[in-house]
Amino acid sequence: MKAPLLLVNTAIAISAGLLVLLGYLFPALGFLSDALLRWAVILAGFALLVGMANLLSVHIGNLRERKKGSLYSLVLIVAFVAALLAAGISTPTGGAAMWIFQNIQLPVEATLMAILVVTLAYSSMRLLRRRSGILPIIFVTTAFVVLIGLAPIYAYGDVPFLSSLRGWISQVPAMAGARGILIGVALGTIATGLRVLIGADRPYGG
Amino acid sequence: MSAAELFVGLLGLGFVLLFAILLLVFTALGGKQQLRPFREIPAFQKLRRAVGLAVESGTRLHVSLGRADLTGPDSAVGLAGLTVLERATRAAAISDRPPIATSGEGSLATLSQESLDSMLRSVSPDREPDPSAGRLTGLTPFSYAAGVIPVIHDEHISTNIILGHFGPEVALITEAGERVGSLTIAGTDQVSAQAVIYATAQEPLVGEDVYASGAYLGASPAHVASLRVQDIFRWALIIAILLGALARLVHLL
Repeated sequence: MKAPLLLVNTAIAISAGLLVLLGYLFPALGFLSDALLRWAVILAGFALLVGMANLLSVHIGNLRERKKGSLYSLVLIVAFVAALLAAGISTPTGGAAMWIFQNIQLPVEATLMAILVVTLAYSSMRLLRRRSGILPIIFVTTAFVVLIGLAPIYAYGDVPFLSSLRGWISQVPAMAGARGILIGVALGTIATGLRVLIGADRPYGG
Repeated sequence: MSAAELFVGLLGLGFVLLFAILLLVFTALGGKQQLRPFREIPAFQKLRRAVGLAVESGTRLHVSLGRADLTGPDSAVGLAGLTVLERATRAAAISDRPPIATSGEGSLATLSQESLDSMLRSVSPDREPDPSAGRLTGLTPFSYAAGVIPVIHDEHISTNIILGHFGPEVALITEAGERVGSLTIAGTDQVSAQAVIYATAQEPLVGEDVYASGAYLGASPAHVASLRVQDIFRWALIIAILLGALARLVHLL
């Protein structure tokens, strides 16, 4: 029973993938790929609902088993229900939902962003201890020069040499490196897509 | 459709077809020909060792799959993460504590559950599915990172494999791994996050190394073949770029 099902799954995945690919390459076939992508978006919406149910079930389980940090699970469940009710009653862009977004979610995420700055500064220093060789030194020195080049020095203002050095670093070596990495990423993306298209990778099961 | 559109479409199709033909040829040759071995990537060597150690010590592997939207262009890195999850689960399936996967996108979370469940059942068919093993931890970058941190702290994690679509918030995840003393292997498709990963992860995967995970972890001959085809195309692109630069230099372009 499992083998025929796998065959059907693979056939559907390969044909859908081929149609979407052809739609990208030949705009005249775009209507087919658009339709398939619309279906995929609807399915992704349902997967999101399943994911949210999973999130709730994990935290309800934490509460039931009184696991370490179950108080946070309680906070998550209360916040989840409150946000769901607020968005359900006032619509997702309505007053209550936007109030939650602007007064709770945004400040919390901004706080995490601030923590990220400290984390990154600390990690950069640790990098020098963890790895030997010239590369970590170049990395930290470049990061430092770019930071100083971006921010004016207190009571002095911009340092023209540092500003132009920062500009050169971002536009020449950093851009060249980034493009090299992006070419590698693009080739990797094509390879992964083609493995799914020929049925060698089957993330949909089997 | 204009002639220019048709030309660009055919050129793209030719590129993809050539890639696909070479992929099929190398896959077919894979088992028969002794080809040059790949360079060693320390992250994958450490990962193979870490899986064995996790099984022996009764600790868990954590695979953080990121927030790749499977209907968008970043889906490939999400699929690469799923391949690693599959390989790690297969290797650690006999452990009392099977791997745990966290994701920040609904369809990725569903696929991770499916992947974990099918791999664990392939080893022990009587095993009950554990929905908490493949978790959705948050839908925005920072809520996802905030949801992953308690998993790293509380689930007896010895190795974190952070492989997927991330932004700079990945530093919060790698730092959490560092704090509990676990091995952290990380890679992503985003250039800005790669710089962060280089600074914060113990074993960073840079650029296309992320997509090589299947080949290095022995997923299938197609993974090895795709890596060889990528190498051929990379050299072709390097030569094309150099020729283009030369032509520009002598005012031919």
